[in-house]
Amino acid sequence: MSERGLRIAGLRCRIAGKEILKGIDLFVEPGRVHALMGPNGSGKSTLAFSLTGHPQYDVSGNVTLDGQDVLELPPDKRARAGLFLSFQYPAAIPGVKVANFLHAARQAERPGDLPPAKFRALLLEKMEELGIDPSFMGRYLNDGFSGGEKKRLEMLQLAVLAPKYAILDETDSGLDIDALKDVGTSIAKLRESDEGRDCGFLIITHYPRILQYVVPDVVHVMIDGRIVKTGDAELANRIERDGYDRLREESIAIA
Amino acid sequence: MPSATAVAQQDRALYDRLATLNDPPFTAAQRGAALDTFFATRSGREKPSRYWRVDFETLQPTSAQLDASDVTIEVDNPNDGVAVYDLAVAARERPELLGRAFGRTGAHATKFGALAAAFARRGVFIHVPADRAPGEPIVIRSSTAANSAAFPAIVVLVERGARLTVIEHIDAASNAFVCGTTEIVCDEGAQVTYAVVQAAAEDARVLFTRAALPGRNARVLWADAELGAALAAGDLSIEIEEPGSESEIVALFFPNGSQHVDVVSTVHHRAGDATSLTLVKSAGTDRGQARFLGNIRIAEGAQGSDARLRDDALLLSTAAHVDSVPALEIAANDVKAYHGATVGAIDDEQIFYMESRGIERSAAERMIALGFFEPAIARFPTERVRDSIRQALAAKLT
Repeated sequence: MSERGLRIAGLRCRIAGKEILKGIDLFVEPGRVHALMGPNGSGKSTLAFSLTGHPQYDVSGNVTLDGQDVLELPPDKRARAGLFLSFQYPAAIPGVKVANFLHAARQAERPGDLPPAKFRALLLEKMEELGIDPSFMGRYLNDGFSGGEKKRLEMLQLAVLAPKYAILDETDSGLDIDALKDVGTSIAKLRESDEGRDCGFLIITHYPRILQYVVPDVVHVMIDGRIVKTGDAELANRIERDGYDRLREESIAIA
Repeated sequence: MPSATAVAQQDRALYDRLATLNDPPFTAAQRGAALDTFFATRSGREKPSRYWRVDFETLQPTSAQLDASDVTIEVDNPNDGVAVYDLAVAARERPELLGRAFGRTGAHATKFGALAAAFARRGVFIHVPADRAPGEPIVIRSSTAANSAAFPAIVVLVERGARLTVIEHIDAASNAFVCGTTEIVCDEGAQVTYAVVQAAAEDARVLFTRAALPGRNARVLWADAELGAALAAGDLSIEIEEPGSESEIVALFFPNGSQHVDVVSTVHHRAGDATSLTLVKSAGTDRGQARFLGNIRIAEGAQGSDARLRDDALLLSTAAHVDSVPALEIAANDVKAYHGATVGAIDDEQIFYMESRGIERSAAERMIALGFFEPAIARFPTERVRDSIRQALAAKLT
């Protein structure tokens, strides 16, 4: 019986010869929410891209998803194994309609599972939950979308694809209060649903805003490519009050 | 390199073939003059790159192709009140009506437009009387037989306030040589959408000259999908001589294998207060070669003109070449002229984004390449035509 969970062990990453991640250890169990916080430049997005398999990232170490070695797989196979990344800056793909793209993605990950009419119904339901106008179905993916619209679309993909482990990379950046509420509510709904209750989350964030809606079970703080502290939701509150400087000093003292 | 004698013999052969033609819509004298123009006029098309394998100066049909000249033109006209004539019949029986459009656009003055005029025999004249707005498009299918030359001439006259949509399917079998002209004249307030889908055999050559003259406050859209043929080359033009019109040229081409596509578009704003949009999507794969030259000319008195040129090129293989050149000549000072262009291969970040959603690399490239054409495809009339274009483009990707 394979271990269930997203296990990251000794993960290192170099970009253009420079070491950004210096040995990351993290274990996300099914259904649990881990928050990863840290100042800008700490390597948070690098971790997200390392896990997802971006070709420009030179990664070593060990990552298993429910016991399956993921680092040896190309990005599409990692996704089909159940990994999802909500991008901080999603790519625009002109000419490819949102509905067609979502259908292709769902078919890639769960071939033949929903007939077109049921898929369309699912799409409309999730769009309504996220406050996305149905007209977006026919728009070209992320083409000309505002920052808030792009993030809502990332959440729509999360809801429609219902992965096993979801990495959210600074999903709350650039969102106004209403968008943040819709996004937060959508994640909460996913966690309550049959399809999503076992989804493990790694929420990467600079500010603790989204954590009001999705309360983390574990909070990690990353500074300079290392996790320097791990705690519970209270750690996030502490950072909101004191910032990262105290932790930075502490980590230098220990190193 | 053929000798001067061989070249002269070839040229004489064309005149000889011409001697037997005296049918409407052109007299023998007119045909002779047109052939003179063909020989005297340079194509204006220089080799865009060292990979370009076509010489336009020596391009002409063979004697065998001329002898076998065989094209059928079928027209589906489901509309009341729209008249479709055989061109020769219209030249004999309705010359004044025909003369309001035929020869008015300058289509016969280009090198290959003149060649088409010299040998034109089969053609169609479409006349839409004032204020008619047919509910269905007219569908024209021209089919040229194998090893045969054809010079189809299509003339469209849409009178004031009327509307028309034409969908022309161009088919040509192996080793055909097609050199046609299409002329559109619309009167005040008229609207015409003219879509062409060319899907000739992979060793055929298809040349075209398409020219439109929109009237005051008229609207014209040329939508051109050049999908087949070893060589697809021609001119798309709109001459704006009256204010208030809205014109659009939309073209897409995707040479694969060893296809060549060479398209020159020209929008000439002679009168002011008119708008134009030129949108071209060209891609190349395998050893395909494409060249697009986009001309926007705004004359001195054409104040208030608004002209846009958007041309995007996508390279899907290392041996493909796309040469895209904008040429804007603006002689008036109170105008808006925009030009935007992109050229490159598929963006790796787009591929990664799709792969991160479980879509495998080659499927991602396919979706992105088809998506590239979609803004141009969207301008073609009827979902049926749009789907047929999508399918033809998808077939080039496998």
